[in-house]
Amino acid sequence: MSQDENDTRGFDGRLFRRILAHLVPYRRWVALAFATVLAAAYLGPLRPKLIQVAIDRDIASGDLESLGRMVMLLVVVLAGEAVLSFVNEYLTQWIGQSAIYDLRSRVHRHLLRQPLAFFDRTPIGRLITRATSDVESLSQVLSSGVITILGDLTKLIFIGWFMFSLDVTLALVTIAVMPVMLWATLWFKKKVEDAYRDTRRQVARLNSFLQEHVSGMRVVQMFSREREELRRFRGINDDHRQAHIRTIFYFALFWPAVDIIGSSAVGLVLWFGGLRAMDGAVSIGVLIAFLQYARQFFEPIRNLSDQFNVLQSGMAGAERIFTLLDRDEAIPEPASPVTLEAPRGEIEFRDVWFAYGSKPDGEPDWVLRGVSFRVEPGQSVAIVGATGAGKSTIIQLLLRFHDVGRGSILVDGVDLRDLRIADLRRRLGLVLQDVFLFSGSVEDNISLGNTDIPPDRVRDAARRIGAHAFIERLRDGYGQDVRERGVTLSHGQRQLLSFARALAYDPRILVLDEATSSVDTETEQVIQRALEQLLDGRTSIVIAHRLSTIQHADQILVMHRGEIRERGTHQELLAAGGLYRRLYELQYREQERAA
Amino acid sequence: MGSLSNLNSYYWKYRRLFIPGLLCAIASSVFAIIVPGVVRQAVDVIPQMVTTYGGFADTPAAGSIRRTLGQSLAVSGGLVLLLSVLSGVFSFLMRQTVVVASRHIEFDLRNRLYEHIQTLSHAFYVRHSTGDLITRSTSDIEQVRRYIGPALMYSTRAIVTIVTAITAMFIISPRLTLYALVPMPFLALSVFFLARGVHRRSDAVQEQYSSLTSRVQETLSGIRVLKAYVREEDEQAAFDRESSEYRRRSLGLAFVEAAWHPVFVVIVGLSTIIVVWQGGRLVVGGTITLGNIAEYILYVALMTWPVAAFGYVISMVQRASASMARLQVIFDAKPEIADGDLTESGVTRVEGGIAFDRVRFRYEADRDPVLDDVTLSVGPGSTLGIVGRTGSGKSTLVEMIPRLLQPDEGRVLVDGRDVREIPLHVLREAIGYVSQDVFLFSDSIAGNIAFGRMDAPVEDIRRAAGEADLLESVESFPDGFETVVGERGITLSGGQKQRTAIARALVREPRILILDDALSAVDTATERRILSHLRTHFGKRTIVIVSHRISAVQDADHILVLDGGRVSEAGTHDELLAREGLYASLYRKQLLEEEFATLA
Repeated sequence: MSQDENDTRGFDGRLFRRILAHLVPYRRWVALAFATVLAAAYLGPLRPKLIQVAIDRDIASGDLESLGRMVMLLVVVLAGEAVLSFVNEYLTQWIGQSAIYDLRSRVHRHLLRQPLAFFDRTPIGRLITRATSDVESLSQVLSSGVITILGDLTKLIFIGWFMFSLDVTLALVTIAVMPVMLWATLWFKKKVEDAYRDTRRQVARLNSFLQEHVSGMRVVQMFSREREELRRFRGINDDHRQAHIRTIFYFALFWPAVDIIGSSAVGLVLWFGGLRAMDGAVSIGVLIAFLQYARQFFEPIRNLSDQFNVLQSGMAGAERIFTLLDRDEAIPEPASPVTLEAPRGEIEFRDVWFAYGSKPDGEPDWVLRGVSFRVEPGQSVAIVGATGAGKSTIIQLLLRFHDVGRGSILVDGVDLRDLRIADLRRRLGLVLQDVFLFSGSVEDNISLGNTDIPPDRVRDAARRIGAHAFIERLRDGYGQDVRERGVTLSHGQRQLLSFARALAYDPRILVLDEATSSVDTETEQVIQRALEQLLDGRTSIVIAHRLSTIQHADQILVMHRGEIRERGTHQELLAAGGLYRRLYELQYREQERAA
Repeated sequence: MGSLSNLNSYYWKYRRLFIPGLLCAIASSVFAIIVPGVVRQAVDVIPQMVTTYGGFADTPAAGSIRRTLGQSLAVSGGLVLLLSVLSGVFSFLMRQTVVVASRHIEFDLRNRLYEHIQTLSHAFYVRHSTGDLITRSTSDIEQVRRYIGPALMYSTRAIVTIVTAITAMFIISPRLTLYALVPMPFLALSVFFLARGVHRRSDAVQEQYSSLTSRVQETLSGIRVLKAYVREEDEQAAFDRESSEYRRRSLGLAFVEAAWHPVFVVIVGLSTIIVVWQGGRLVVGGTITLGNIAEYILYVALMTWPVAAFGYVISMVQRASASMARLQVIFDAKPEIADGDLTESGVTRVEGGIAFDRVRFRYEADRDPVLDDVTLSVGPGSTLGIVGRTGSGKSTLVEMIPRLLQPDEGRVLVDGRDVREIPLHVLREAIGYVSQDVFLFSDSIAGNIAFGRMDAPVEDIRRAAGEADLLESVESFPDGFETVVGERGITLSGGQKQRTAIARALVREPRILILDDALSAVDTATERRILSHLRTHFGKRTIVIVSHRISAVQDADHILVLDGGRVSEAGTHDELLAREGLYASLYRKQLLEEEFATLA
């Protein structure tokens, strides 16, 4: 968790109600959990009371038969309490986990719906925290939080009730210790919380030192800094140790203190109880019952103070989650979407302007300025230009990762904004320069887990692309996990996988950002053939780096600073002797010579 | 379990804490165990007094009997309090010694681990991921610590309490004791199984949690692909599956955890009920008193934790021993690159001559060699340029100079001496190395530069920053050289990082300066400025420049062109241009690039 995020937060009624709203689907189970927790809270304190009756009535009068019956009753009560408390604890966890599952799913769905602009802006680490640990911090609130608090409160009430019904004076004497216990507990909580905060900070320091130095060990060794870094490590490790030792101190103080306070209650019960017995007001059984109540009494108090922390950390997580959920930037779907019947694969950009952001003076910082072009079905277009000319923006807009600033983009004559996003993207196949492989098998990386694409089609696509041979050579073939340690696919192989992926999806329109990085000539030839296979018979827009791709294109667009400067075929543009010609000499002639 | 015996020396080292600590544990248990006896006496005295009191009712003696009883009860009550205070004081001292000692041992162990991994080389870090090593030095060490401190403390107390309590109980009534203790072994057993169940299942939950986290991480990193292929729904389904597996495992853990409380309640409750039942029969038969029942109830309560601790301690020891075994694997790893038999400790200086003699190297035995038959030689003070495509072996070559890697065949020589003969620290202290992927520490910029030379005065740091063309950037930061970089500070651009790393190497005033593609993220103008600063050292120190840009190497005394791990061309800039090979074509391409950059 990053430093700017608080891990606890004060109690907030509205926020709390919003958290609880997640329990609504489980209200029957919540009701059952309440019933069990209340019943268990009654049965626990009932036992000392029954033992008292057994001692005073049965043992005192020597009635062994009645004692036997009482023992049976005690066993039943005990079993009842055990079963109820088991059911209750499991049930509360079940409710919490189920509600959390729903919430986690909702957060994830929300994230997936956000547009790319959202991901460009928000660090991934923070989003991961939302979907995992923040949600997790709520699980305790949703499970034990509410129900356990109520259970502990009722338990306190029941114990008090039994004590008062047995003997008011002794009850008052026992309860007299309570403020001291409460004060000690709260004092301890506060101290330990401070100490824990310090401990957590030291643990984080230690971890980040290790993280950094293990990843940067080469630098440490290279600069022969081992001795100095060990010295620093010892320093941090020592702070870590000291923080823990401070925590030990409070624990060492607290546990005996609890014992001593409990014992003083026992001492008081003995003293006052004896005097009351002399007056015939209490029996030995009552005295023994009080000795047990004096112990039972403190457990709920301690539990309650624990629950308070749970609530606090849950609140902080909840607030962050709700802030995320409340801001939905998803691109709205059209009210009445146009459905494209048989797609032809025609693309048109009409005077498209686009800016990712604004300049300091508030003016949009245009990346595309009035771009217009048209691609007929089955035609291929190559976009060339220097880095930052706006080439990849064209791709991003066509996929509707962003919406245009001005102008419009049409596919088969329909404005993108009138199509359902999923319908649009199903028509397009995208191959990016930096191939992203998901952990999982080669097969899953081609089909992307789409069950509509059978294994045959995956293999067929791989074969046509020319990836089949190397995939078969992998240890587990198509089942090979691509992220396994030691399995490293070369850049060229990754490229081929992403081609196979696009081919397996068989889109009408192919959008391709060619990789620049050089590969050896052998791989180059394989990729060249694969590309031809891929582009064959499709409308394509390619950000081209390969001369062969460009030469084969029906139309070349030369981008410079957000505008289309030149357009035409390879021969036409070479003849024109403009920007393209220089570009050609710079980037492509080399390839021609090599080929 | 055997691996834990490696820790015995630590017990001896901290005996001054352990011996008094364990004595305190014994004292604390003994004082606590006296309490039930006192309660019994008080409870037994009450009926007698009540009877006596009844006999003397309405006589003047009644008042004094009442006072006597009151006093004796007050003494008992006070005694209970006193005993628990004494027990408390010793228990406080016990924790302050034994648990504190366990933290000292944790401290020692972790230092030892870190010191050891600092000596280990490349191959070790390939086998062990960073996350793995961090787990070893945090949670595994923590497991071992728990065995050292709490486990020892709990078992000592448990033994004393149980032995004393059972003895006291036996003296009163062997039969009742046997009855009352029947449930106890079940408590130890159930706690052992529950603790083991909780540990296993919480490990399973943790595992699923990380798999859930990495799923989200991957989804978000690959969001472009997912969106482009309209995989959102399937991804959501896959996430829900992971999430529901997480729920399943969490509930598995919840099932065991939910059993803790009932198990305690049942076993302790049963013991109490048995005491009342069988004790009641004995009271009726006149063998024991009601006070004994109260006493037994307290004994049972006192024994609960120690008995439970037994089960808990056994599961702790199991875990600790597994952790210790994992730690031992690391402790047993031998550094592959270190001073050895060949090292001549007499060597204390490096001049800077570099030579490779038929060097061949491969990362894995079944792969093609990355370097094949590389031979080169440059004298001290000269400049060596290395160019070549990605993957041609440039970085591997320069990493051999500071012995980050060792050749499989052939020799790397510095000043005509095999690098293995030069003490490692002498060799590395003479080298300033800037690697391709710059690694900076979360420290101030000054701190990062001074990493190269700890005692570097401020002027030297400034000079180094100046030579690396970093001064202007640094001065634009709010805190100048004290600006913290990295996670908790500002994020430097790629070029700023590279220049910081160059300054870090320069501040060492190294005999050999190696720049491994260290100018890739700066523009050509900056590159030119930095190179011109470096040129002032030409002739004074050996400089090795690896680059994909010809401009960075063209002034070098000697230029190597690597292709597929072999030296394909070598010579000076002019010689290489005349050859009309790879070098010449790279050079022309670069000229065009510059021309294009100036295009409007």
